[in-house]
Formats: sequence, structure tokens, C-alpha cells
Amino acid sequence: MSVTRPPSGPGSALKLITFGLALLCAAPVQSGPREQAKRIHDRIAGVPPSAEVLDQMVSEIEANDPLAAAMLAIENPNFYNVTLKNWATPWTNEEMTPFAPLNDYSATVIGMVRDEVPFNELLSADILYVGSNAPAYSNDNNAHYEAMENQGLNLKEELLRTTQSGVTGLPPEGTAGVITTRAAARAFFVDGTNRAMFSFTMLNHLCRDLEQIKDPTRPHDRVRQDVARSPGGDSRVFFNNCVGCHAGMEPLTQAYAYYDYVYPEEDMEAGHISYTPGEVQHKYLINSSVFKDGFATPDNHWDNYWRKGVNAALGWDTSLPGSGDGAKSQGQELANSHAFAECQVTKAFEAICLRPPVDSADRSKIGEITTNFKSGYNMKRVFAETAVYCAGD
Amino acid sequence: MGFKTRIDAAWKAWLLFPALALVGLQACQDGVSNESVQETSITTSTYNGPAARTSDIQGFRISVWEPLRAQNRCGACHGAGGQAPLFVREDDVNQAYEAVNPFINRVEPDESALVTKVANGHNCWEASDSACATIIANYVQSWLGDGSGGGRQIELEAPPENVVGESKVFPDDATLFAIHVHPLLTEYCSECHVDDAASPQSPYFANADADSAYAAVKTSIDLDTPRNSRLVQRLIELHNCWDDCPGNAQEMQSAITRMADAISPTPVDPDLVVSYALSLPEGTVASGGSRQENDVIALYEFKTGEGNVAYDTSGVDPAINLSLSGDMGWVEGWGLEFRDGKAQGSTNDSQKLAQLIQATGEYTIEAWVVPANVTQEGPARIISYSAGTDDRNFTLGQTLYTYNFLHRSSTTDGNGEPAHSTSDGDEDLQATEQHVVATFDPEHGRRIYVNGVFTDDEDETAPGNLNDWDDTYALVLGNEASSDRPWAGKVRLLAIHNRALNEQQILQNFEAGVGEKYFLLFNVSGLVNLPQSYIVFEVSQYDNYSYMFRQPKFISLDAGVVPGDIPIQGMRIGINGKEAAIGQAYARLDTSLNAAEYSQNGQLLSRIATVIASEKGAEGDQFFLTFERLGDYTHVFTEPEPLPLASPADAEPRSEVGLRTFDEINASMAELTGVSQTLSTVQETYTTIRQQLPSSEDVNGFLSSHQVAVSQLAIEYCSALVDDTGLRAGFFPGLDFSINANDISSATWQSQVVAPLMSRFMGENLASQPDPALVEGELMDLLTGSAGLARCTGQCAADRTEKATKAACASLLGSAVVLLQ
Repeated sequence: MSVTRPPSGPGSALKLITFGLALLCAAPVQSGPREQAKRIHDRIAGVPPSAEVLDQMVSEIEANDPLAAAMLAIENPNFYNVTLKNWATPWTNEEMTPFAPLNDYSATVIGMVRDEVPFNELLSADILYVGSNAPAYSNDNNAHYEAMENQGLNLKEELLRTTQSGVTGLPPEGTAGVITTRAAARAFFVDGTNRAMFSFTMLNHLCRDLEQIKDPTRPHDRVRQDVARSPGGDSRVFFNNCVGCHAGMEPLTQAYAYYDYVYPEEDMEAGHISYTPGEVQHKYLINSSVFKDGFATPDNHWDNYWRKGVNAALGWDTSLPGSGDGAKSQGQELANSHAFAECQVTKAFEAICLRPPVDSADRSKIGEITTNFKSGYNMKRVFAETAVYCAGD
Repeated sequence: MGFKTRIDAAWKAWLLFPALALVGLQACQDGVSNESVQETSITTSTYNGPAARTSDIQGFRISVWEPLRAQNRCGACHGAGGQAPLFVREDDVNQAYEAVNPFINRVEPDESALVTKVANGHNCWEASDSACATIIANYVQSWLGDGSGGGRQIELEAPPENVVGESKVFPDDATLFAIHVHPLLTEYCSECHVDDAASPQSPYFANADADSAYAAVKTSIDLDTPRNSRLVQRLIELHNCWDDCPGNAQEMQSAITRMADAISPTPVDPDLVVSYALSLPEGTVASGGSRQENDVIALYEFKTGEGNVAYDTSGVDPAINLSLSGDMGWVEGWGLEFRDGKAQGSTNDSQKLAQLIQATGEYTIEAWVVPANVTQEGPARIISYSAGTDDRNFTLGQTLYTYNFLHRSSTTDGNGEPAHSTSDGDEDLQATEQHVVATFDPEHGRRIYVNGVFTDDEDETAPGNLNDWDDTYALVLGNEASSDRPWAGKVRLLAIHNRALNEQQILQNFEAGVGEKYFLLFNVSGLVNLPQSYIVFEVSQYDNYSYMFRQPKFISLDAGVVPGDIPIQGMRIGINGKEAAIGQAYARLDTSLNAAEYSQNGQLLSRIATVIASEKGAEGDQFFLTFERLGDYTHVFTEPEPLPLASPADAEPRSEVGLRTFDEINASMAELTGVSQTLSTVQETYTTIRQQLPSSEDVNGFLSSHQVAVSQLAIEYCSALVDDTGLRAGFFPGLDFSINANDISSATWQSQVVAPLMSRFMGENLASQPDPALVEGELMDLLTGSAGLARCTGQCAADRTEKATKAACASLLGSAVVLLQ
């Protein structure tokens, strides 16, 4: 089919865009059920509703069941192909760009929301979502998911739940939800010291940059040998800038001591996750002469020092022990914190309401939805409840 | 330590002296002085007395007696017929040996009376008593040996029993803080250090709520020494000052001082389980150790700590004492810090380097350094034996993350080039304390070792000989002799050897460490109910701002004591009456003192070291230990209550509407037109412009480039819609696209094109969409207005009906009615 470009002139598209923007931004309008339904659909699915769906949603709202209306919008495939994909994609790469391709990390998030898998298993479950398209899932590339995206496949229908241990060959005890997906390994286990995996997990799933949770008063005994105690000959830098994060981060990051991402020279995209149970990865022991009396990692035992001190405010689950071995139990520790639950709700809020919470009403609503979320960890319902809240008055 | 080779070097130096005198008047090189800082030559006579009766006496003769019997050393007074003890009597070395023995400590040579007497001011021939003491200590160590056996046993001494002193503690109430300090914080620090900042930076001591700010600020305030408060120190470090940093720091210090002055000192918490207290000088000196120094010909340990001269304490004369100049200073715990200065020896004294190194044809430059950054280049000269930027015998320098080793030989030029450097990619040089060793020998050429490990960088230049070395150059630290290649950083030790150390020797010297070290014995006898029982730490001044505590162990000085099963848990280091806020590496210690792990060297409690911030300096800081449990004594450590999270202030209201983003726009256009996203023309366009579409919902971020991309995509979808006869028949039922555009009435355009477009794209009966009449007016004007696309002079082109329809479609599809949500 040939593309025929229409003539342009003074009255062309740009003018109308500007015109429309001006109209819409000029004055807020009172929202009735139709407007609320339209917004709920727009925000959840990312696309306008059909006339039929809009009418059904209006009926639900008029029947005083706006949540049912939101659930209708969630049935739109674009909730999965667009909204959820763009919600999760920035978590899967270091640049945090939403333009990255679909991958096993984002597909697993989408599948877990679709199937209402308790979302607090996100960082610990032996779970993976794949398609039935060619090429098949590979440990060494992302082609399977990129083909799925390029073919415009309906993720709501196509994604199949399976296990990492069944597909990737990781032993079940070595799986830790999205942490042990290939995409996460490519982004955060690649090179370095594996601290990136922890800091990005904190940022993406507890909504806390390390700068926000610095606590230099935690014991220093697990700070590794590669951390200079006197950078440039000035230990004040260590006291003021380094130890606040490292003291608590190191004993938690130890959980990843058996993971790496290995790749052929000159082709970082063709690598795969490496798991060496019982054998600490070399990256944990590099630069050991920087402070040779520092901590030398012997295994993957982790402890959560932040259960005490100012970061107790993150709301750790008191029914968990606060220590363990490996990424799976550490993922449970993180994903059962109040901060994790609140973070997921806040992220959904920002995706649906198109803004961060700004006032006590917003914060109160997030608290309410978080409380509901922690009873069953149904992420789909969080989107629905949030969309209802932001549907307009 | 084997001493023969070292003494050989010393003898060579003495033999060299007449030659030095002859060349003493050679012309100065650029920026190079030939004047000695101190008179360092020695004058001795031939010995005609009885031979040494034993090998120990022969060792004494070579190592101690020969270098000290000169008239400008100890021989002026303690020679034959002089003042007792006659330990350098030149008539009989055997009697001199007998005379010296009472003044020698064979367990700790450093503590020999022969050393301490001079250290305490007794007739040093240099300007610094400590320099003479170090030299004599080295002589005694050479005689007795301290390294060949892998280290000597330190004799621990019982320290004084100081009760932990009192200090100021924070009152429960925030009033004083609110009056004196909080106003400064809320005024100047609240952009970042509040929990609801755009990019919140912990700690949140600038919160508007004084109570929560007070709870957060305590680790940043030092009530005993306000200047040491992190609030002050950060301003001194130029951290976000509000105008003039020194002035701001002073303002903050004054505010904290006013707060502190209103607080009375309180004694240490009586509930704590504490040891006795110690200051650093009250510890047992642990200096020395097992360094490999058999062939050292110049040695700088920088123990003086003051003045304008850094002394060569190798004991190999002439000493190349270094004059300090420019922007530089001393480092606490031994060392020199260079900012834009240098430490330079005279050309006369420096001649021994050329002479002694040429004699062996190999050498080693060994240093403990702390590069201030990884941005300096030039190479910036760390250690240089040179005359200027183009002439050198050797230089160890820095270029970013690499060490450079320039060295004159028959295979390199007079500037030591081509240089040998560590690999860029390996980033062997880091801005932290490093042991760096550069060796040259005729077999391996140049090699560089960092922290005891060979960097694996092979010298690409064949090893040559050193015949062309120029002995008129000067040894310089921290700069070039011509002062135009400054290096910023610290040198904590420099040793130049006239042999290439092997890997084992280099590792040995790395593991010996650097700096002034003490064993601090914290008395816990009363707590464990065992006599003379201590927790011992090896403590050193780590830099100007901290101490390093390492190798904690339990030991009793009573040889008969063996601990039973005594629990020890939660050990913390206290300083000046309170537990240090930062640096507690033993807080999770949980073990027991027991016979199985205890030996005469004690029981090691942890292999981890930690650093504790200095408060009053090494002379003033008093340390102690606390325990959550030691023996039968317990104290439950209570964490401060976590701060209640203050409710952030309400932010500015945000727009209720936002933009659709890239994938949403694409999906919406596909949904509204019925055209598949995977249609090749559409997909190609979308792939091309995807990242040009909005990626954020914020309407304030909408750019003209976004408009262009949206229009392109809308045109693509509408073209595909109208070009597909099936799709368009469903979308525009009744419209005959074969009719000339000019012949289609306005009413038909309105009802069969505009109305379906508006119905589908805008939805119906939605107050949140623009007024339909206005939208319809715009679209009709586009089609049938005075310059309307569907109105031509005469007949329009045959495809104008399709084009006009596409234009109307794209205008609405790419407009705010779709773009906004």
C-alpha cells in the first residue's frame, strides 16, 4: 500500500492539536459517569474505550460499582501490551528507559499481574512467563521477547506461566523471581560487584534511592575489602558518603554472591546468567588490597541490618527472620516489607493518575490501597482502585 | 633481617664520600641545589684493635660501632677515655660491646636505651631527635635482626588504668537545638535534607519539625568538640555553602558551641559494661615489623611530623635529607601531604643513589602513597631523581589511573622514555592508600607492583645498562626538580633499594604496613575476673581524621591464665566518654573466650578492621570498650527509636490531565482507526519516530518535536485507513471516494466524514472533550472553508477526496482530543 500524504496548509494538524490543547487546558470540567469512565479506561488501557465498552463502564459506575468499571478496562489487551509493559520496562535496565524491548523481566511482571499471582512473590518465586512464538526462549539472547513485541502479539493471551528452573536450568533454590531473570542479570549482574542489583531493586521496588536510607550507625563488619576507608587519604569521605549505604547494603547484597552475568568478549548482549552455588563469584573478592582488613565474602548468607535503626521505618515483616542464605529468601525479606507494598501502590498511582501523590488525601488513599494490597497482593486490583480514585469528581 | 648487604651498602657510601667531596661544586641543575640540608658526612679512622671475638660482636661492630664511633657521632664523647658508657671506644670493639649491652633491648630494639636516650634529646647530630633515634634504631635492628624470622614478638606492657572520662550528651528535649542550630538548618539545608525534598538527602535534619530534625541531627553534632561536627566539617569541605564556606562553617560551629555550652558534661553511662580507658600514646608501640630492608640506601618514614626537613633514616650516609617547600604539610601518623609543593634533597647527597645503584645495576623504588585523585597527569611526579622536565635518572609518576616509570638506561633516552606504565584499563592506581613498588633489573627490565602484586605489565623496552646515569641530579618528592609537574597526594613511606626486590620481599613489605602503630590494651580484668586481662587492639593513625582498629584479641599478661568459657558479645569502641556513632565493626561479635582458641599470643576475636573518627587528635582522644555481654556482666544495647516519619507538606496541585505517551499514542491510533500496528508502513514510521514521541505524561513537557512526530504518525494511520477500501467503507459509510471533492457538498463532508471522525475519535457526550461545535467548525473550515482542501477552482484532482479525508482524519487523530487523557 502506498502512503499518500495529505496536503498541508494553514489549517492542518498542528493547528488543531494546539487548538485542542488550549481548549482542554482552559477550564476543568465537572466529571459525570461518562467522563469518569472515559478517564478510567484511558488511564488503565492507555487507549480510548470503544463506545460499547464506555457504555458498559458507565452503567457500572451508575450502579455505584466503579471498581467493576475499572475491571472492564483492565480487560483491554493494551493494559498488558502498553500500560504494564511501559510500567515495568524501566526497571529492567540501568538507564531506566521505557524504550527498551520486552524481556523476560517485564513479561514476568505482566504475567503475574494478569494471573493475579501474589505480587510479594515478585522477588523470590520460581516463575517465568514465555510465549509460544519463535524463536523459543534462550538463555543467551532476548530474541524470543523482541519477536513477540515486533509481531504485536497480544500479551494478555500469549503469555504462558512456567518456571525458571524448567526453562533456564537454574535450580529452584537459585531462583528469585525477576531478580534471576536474564534481563535483570544482563542489566545488574553484569560486571561490577552485584551491588547494582541491590541498589536498583531498592530503587525500583522499595522506591528508595540509597541516598534516602543512609544509616552510618549500622555495624561496619560486612563492608567489603574493595571499599576504601580513606578515599584520597580522607576518611571523612568514608564516614560522610560511603559507609551510610555500604554498612547496610553489603550484608544484604551478599545474597547475590553466587550470581554473575557472563558474556562473550565484545558481545554483552549474548550472555547468560551464571549461578555457582557454594562458590562465591570472583567479583565479590576483587580489589581486596584496597582495605585488606575488610570483609571477605565467604558465602551467600545475608543479614538485614536495617531492621534496626532509622530504616526500621521501612516496615520489615516481623514474621520473617531477617537473615538467610541466597537471593530467594532475601527477595522475600524485601518484598514483604511495607515499603515494597507502598512502593508498588505508589508506582501504580503515578502511572494511572499521571502525577505523584501531592497532598494528604492522596497519601491517605495510598495508605488505604496499600493496606488492601497487603491482603493478597493483587496488583490488578491496585490499578483498578487507583483508577477509580483518579477518575475525577 | 639479614643485615650484611645493607651494611655493604653503608660501607660503599663511606667509601664514596671522598668522591662526593670532589664533585660538590658541580653546577646546579635547573631548580636543583647541591647544598646538603644538614651535614651528614661522617669521619672515621682505621681500626687497629683486637678482632671481634664472636659473630654477635662482629655484627655489633659492623652495624652499630662503625657508624657511631665517628667524631661527629657518638665517638666525640663515648670513645676511649671519654664519658661512660664507652660503647664506641675505638681501641677495642669487644669492650665497646660489653659497654653497650646494658643499653640494648634485644626484644624490642626500638626501646633500647641507646635509642630512647637520643630520642629524648641527647645530643642528636641532626636537627631532629627522632631522626637520630630512628637511625640508631635501624643500626641496632640491623645488628640484632628483626625480619629474618618473620617478625618479632612484641612485648606487651600493662597500661595505666584510666577510668572512662565524662562527656557531653544530648538532652532528651530538643529546645536547645531548636534555639541555636535548627534555624540555620531550616534556612540553608532544607532544599535537600528534608524528607519531602524533590531529591531527599538523608539525614533529614532540616525538617521543619524540630523534634524529628533533632533526632536526625545527633550523629552530625559533636558536643565535646563542636568543630568536629559533621555539620561544620561538611561546610569546610565546601559542601553546599550558602555563601562563604569558611564563614558558614564558623557560623555553624558557633551555633553548635552555644548549644554545647548550655549542656553540662555527664559521666559515662553507669549502666554500660566498660573497660578501662587509654589514649594512643599510652599503648605499646608496635612500629618496626618485618620489612625487607637489606639493600635500602635511602629511607623516609616521616616520623618527625614537623619542621621543614624530612630525614633519610636509612643510616646509609650521606643522608639525603629533604627540604620541604611549597604547599604541603605533615600527615598525622607519619607522612607528607603534597598539594603543590615538593620535598627535595641536594645534588651532593643524592649522588649516593647514582653511585650505589650503578654499582649493582638494579634498584627498587618502594613507597606507600595516597594519590589525592585520579585526574592528575603530566605525569605528575611522585618520586623523581632528575634535573627538570627533560632530564632524569628515574621517575615514578601518575597519569590518571596509571603509574608511570621513567628510567634512563642504554635503551631509553635521557628523559627515561619510553616510559613503562601500568595498563590504562586495569586502573591499578586508585585514590586510596597503596603500596607501590617499581623495580628495575637487567633480566626483567622495569616492573611495577601495587599492593604486593605484580601488575602483569611487561616492560616493552629491552633492559639496558645504567652507565649513562647522571649523578648531578636531585631526589625530589611530589614534584619535578623544576617545580612544574606537581603531584597531589600523600607519601607515607619511601624506601630506595639498590637491588630489585623479588615478589616475596615486596609482599612482605606490603604486609608489614606503614605508619605509627600501637597496641592498646584495654583492661577487662575486673569483668572477666582474671588477672592482667586485656582486649588488645592494634591501633594506628589511619589518616588525619581517623584511627584504624584491627586484630582485636583477648590476652592476659599473666602467663598462668587460661580463660574458661567466657561469653563476649556486642563489643563497641568508645571515644571520649561515649560510644562512637560510626565505625562499630564488632557490635555483632558473639563468641567466647576459651582455652581451645587461646594461646600465649592471646585469642583473636575478629579479622575485620574498622576506622573510628578522630575527635581531639591522637594526644587528646581517649578510647575504651563497651560490651553487651562480657562474662557475667551485661548491658542491653538499645537502639534509638526510629524516627516517626513526619507528614510531608502538601505539594503544589498537579494537572489532572496528562499526555498519552509513545506506545499509548500508537495503540490509540491503531484502536481508533482500526489499522493494525504491525502494518509495515505504520510500523516502520512508528519505529523511526518512537523516541521522538512524548515519554512523560507531563503536559508541561510537550515539545514542538513531539507535535511533529504525532502528526507524522497520525498521517500514516489515516493514510492506511483511507487507502484500505474495506476499512474506509466501514469508517465512512456512504461516502463515494470516486466523486470529485469539489462536487461533494459541505453537508455531505460534514455528515459522512467529519461526523464519523468526531464520533469515533472524540467519543460522544463527553464533557471532558472540546466543544463538538468548535471542533466541527475547525474540520469543516479545513475541508470546505475559503482555502478548504475540498474546494478547488474548477475540478479538483481525482485523488483529492481521499487526500482531504486523510487530512481531516489526521488533523483530529493527531490532536489533543486523542493526545490528552
